[in-house]
Amino acid sequence: MKIRTLRYFIKEGFVNSYRNKLMSLASVLIVVASLIVFGVFVLISLNAQHNIRIWKEQPQLQAFCYQELDDIQVRRVEEIIKADERVLSYEKVTREQALEKMRERLGKDAAILDGYGADIFPVSFIIRLKDVSYSGEVVKDLEKVTGIEKVTYSQDTVELITRMSQWFSLGCSVMIVIFLVASVFIIANTIKLTVFARRKEISIMKYIGATDWFIRWPFVVEGVIISITGAILAFIISACGYKAVVDKFSQDAFFAQTSLLSMLSIESIWSKLAVYYAAIAVVVGAAGSFVSMRRYLKV
Amino acid sequence: MVELRNVSKTYPNGTVALRDINLKLDKGEFVFLVGPSGSGKSTLVKLLLKEEEATEGEVYVNGYDVTSMTRQEIPYLRRSLGVVFQDFRLLPNKTVYENVAFAMIITEALPKEIRRQVPMALALVGLSRKANMYPHQLSGGEQQRVALARALVNNPALLIADEPTGNLDPETSWEIMKLLSEINHRGTTVIVATHEKSIVDAMKKRVVAINKGVIVRDQEKGLYRDEDKNTPVFY
Ligand SMILES: Nc1ncnc2c1ncn2[C@@H]1O[C@H](COP(=O)(O)OP(=O)(O)OP(=O)(O)O)[C@@H](O)[C@H]1O
Ligand SMILES: [Mg+2]
Repeated sequence: MKIRTLRYFIKEGFVNSYRNKLMSLASVLIVVASLIVFGVFVLISLNAQHNIRIWKEQPQLQAFCYQELDDIQVRRVEEIIKADERVLSYEKVTREQALEKMRERLGKDAAILDGYGADIFPVSFIIRLKDVSYSGEVVKDLEKVTGIEKVTYSQDTVELITRMSQWFSLGCSVMIVIFLVASVFIIANTIKLTVFARRKEISIMKYIGATDWFIRWPFVVEGVIISITGAILAFIISACGYKAVVDKFSQDAFFAQTSLLSMLSIESIWSKLAVYYAAIAVVVGAAGSFVSMRRYLKV
Repeated sequence: MVELRNVSKTYPNGTVALRDINLKLDKGEFVFLVGPSGSGKSTLVKLLLKEEEATEGEVYVNGYDVTSMTRQEIPYLRRSLGVVFQDFRLLPNKTVYENVAFAMIITEALPKEIRRQVPMALALVGLSRKANMYPHQLSGGEQQRVALARALVNNPALLIADEPTGNLDPETSWEIMKLLSEINHRGTTVIVATHEKSIVDAMKKRVVAINKGVIVRDQEKGLYRDEDKNTPVFY
């Protein structure tokens, strides 16, 4: 294809979408909606993966003593943990700290704790291991120690998150497929209207010897223009939205203190998001054009 | 140049539009295709453009074997000839110049070629001064001349016109027919399907008469109706 012909196709593609403003706009909005659903999914999965990776790298256990244990008994438990050579470090969480954490977690609802003392909370130990591979046996051994009620195992959290993100992916995939198919069809429908509006022109082009592809390309370009416009808007909206969430998140005292969750910065993922959006936009736009071509432009 | 061998055309609804047509046109000829309404003139033109397929027989145009041609080849057949219709078929939102240039753009011609050829074609039909007007600003005769310029801009060896003067007044019709004749003098083979009795009679060209899908007469320097020849001539 020659450059001037390509220029002609692109120009005609713009003319087509402009002549059909309202439908083009509607299609753009559908594309934006589908891509944002897709974007939310991508952003959440990227962050989930990121956090799972962090948790896997730092095996962390929390051993809870029975609530009624006295200081001497607690110290006995602490000695056992200290003596274990698989333990890298540990940190004692006192009843008061536990109460404080709970107050923080409850936020405005902390009032329900009024009237209760710190003694309703058990003492616990946050334990870091020298190696991930020990975690299974260490949990088993600690659970046998008298005075320890239960050991939460960060592996559980990893599994839970993994399982949750699988369900989440499935749900999102279904939605994404529905949205993308809808996008393809609304683009096809928009192009159908343009084809209809230009049918006289198309028949004249055929009489004077235009090839099928010469007639089709401007409509393919029209579909791609719609989807690319949608992608650009969706990118701006989701990038701004994500940045707002990240900012809000980093100001949240609870997450900042516990470092239980961390979020990827927008800088580290915008390029990935842009590439996904662009790829999907081109595929959806072209697919829309081809569907309409097959159905309405049997030249 | 153009040859039809034992060509028949039956439309899917059963209408027999052409029956065993044999016709040969040499390079540089000028042929009038005449006959009553519904006799099959437009059908014959459509077979030459491969807008319709012959049910039987063979069609050759400009060295193309139209009958066995694939869909992909049709555009190249059509580029090798110019076509003009009764309803002009101009693009309403393009200027005169752009309409003519369009026939070259679709062939991916060089811009330099387009800038050279389009003014020449417009000059030939006498519309150089109206190059920047839109079709709706022109008279019917002028619009048909734009269509002619478009048909000629790629220098086709064959020009096909189906009732080119059907929508024009007698005087304008004469102008268009003279233009077609002039184009023929420059070497282009011309086929004109028409009902213009007086023009056909006056121009004394080859006349092929069709009736009910059959060629009933093929005559050099012919007249619109055969029997006119037998009417007494008074000196
Ligand atoms: N697409 C079609 N389907 C079925 N029958 C058709 C079709 N096109 C033309 N016909 C029939 O074929 C016959 C020849 O039609 P055609 O248009 O070739 O006549 P014509 O000589 O051009 O007439 P006119 O002088 O009125 O233009 C007519 O009986 C017409 O009704
Ligand atoms: Mg006709």
